[in-house]
Amino acid sequence: MNKAKVLKLAKGFRGRAKNCIRIARERVEKALQYSYRDRRNKKRDMRSLWIQRINAGTRIHSVNYGNFMHGLMKENIQLNRKVLSELSMHEPHSFKALVDISRNAFPGNKNVVHAPRKVALPLSV
Amino acid sequence: MAILCAASSSSSAVFAPAKCNPSFSPLSSKRSIAGLSFAPSKPVATAVGKRGFAVRCQKDLSVVPLDQRWMFEESEVDGPDIWNKTWYPKARDHVNTEKPWYIVDATDKILGRLASTIAIYIRGKNLATYTPSVDMGAFVIVVNAEKVAVSGKKRTQKLYRRHSGRPGGMKIETFDQLQQRIPERIIEHAVRGMLPKGRLGRALFNHLKVYKGPEHPHEAQKPMELPIRDKRIMKER
Repeated sequence: MNKAKVLKLAKGFRGRAKNCIRIARERVEKALQYSYRDRRNKKRDMRSLWIQRINAGTRIHSVNYGNFMHGLMKENIQLNRKVLSELSMHEPHSFKALVDISRNAFPGNKNVVHAPRKVALPLSV
Repeated sequence: MAILCAASSSSSAVFAPAKCNPSFSPLSSKRSIAGLSFAPSKPVATAVGKRGFAVRCQKDLSVVPLDQRWMFEESEVDGPDIWNKTWYPKARDHVNTEKPWYIVDATDKILGRLASTIAIYIRGKNLATYTPSVDMGAFVIVVNAEKVAVSGKKRTQKLYRRHSGRPGGMKIETFDQLQQRIPERIIEHAVRGMLPKGRLGRALFNHLKVYKGPEHPHEAQKPMELPIRDKRIMKER
């Protein structure tokens, strides 16, 4: 009875783990442990993905993620990162408006010191 | 479809609470302008390959015909929910034939800084549609690979090692020797170290094309200049 349930959960596993109950039981236990852990990890991973996408979207406009979020916090814009990442992908003009708002609120680091260079820079954007 | 954009934009405007009034109105007005400006254009197929903005309006599933409505759940009746589900690319969003090609001249550029920029473009981390599990990046051509520069005494001191697998089979050569022998390998080694290791990373590595002289066989792909933002990439004279 429990064997049937375990083997049902073991569908798609590799090798004997999907057929033989002794091996399947171990693998299914591990799979359930992983899924418990990953339901919590998924929230972290998704937020990390949204942040990476927002970072890429703002760097197109020469603002990095940190300065962008600081500017938004200053303006008390409480859009969350999920929505910001979807905006940066699907509504680029609106996102640019947000980046401009953030840049006006917080112009970014003006104290960045660049290394002295003696050769002229050919193609920097 | 424009209605959907406006409707979805108004629903996302709900996320911002009523407190942020000063920034609220210009935002919603801008977004409604954006929504209206999309009205005359036909549903644009995913322009992911193009640099800059990738505008992706809802396709014609936005309004489901009445007789098919039983197939969709309540929440999907007006089309897929793009604001609550994180976007994941479909197969047509990363077709290799529509990806951009970039070209960069390696003459007198610092090796590591150049490789870092190349790896970012190949992996697709410069795009807002970046997805770690999918190959969204571009193709990069490097020409004049034998003229790449390194700072300090690395030209004679940097060692490239490889091992044949047999005991005593370690082969060591310096940067200079490898540049005389196979100059493309230097840039390939550097970029490969900066790409993810795994099946996807190996597939990404094939998007790097390195050539020794100024010629390359990819004129048909019309490569454009790789935009480099690093201010210290040129070798100081």
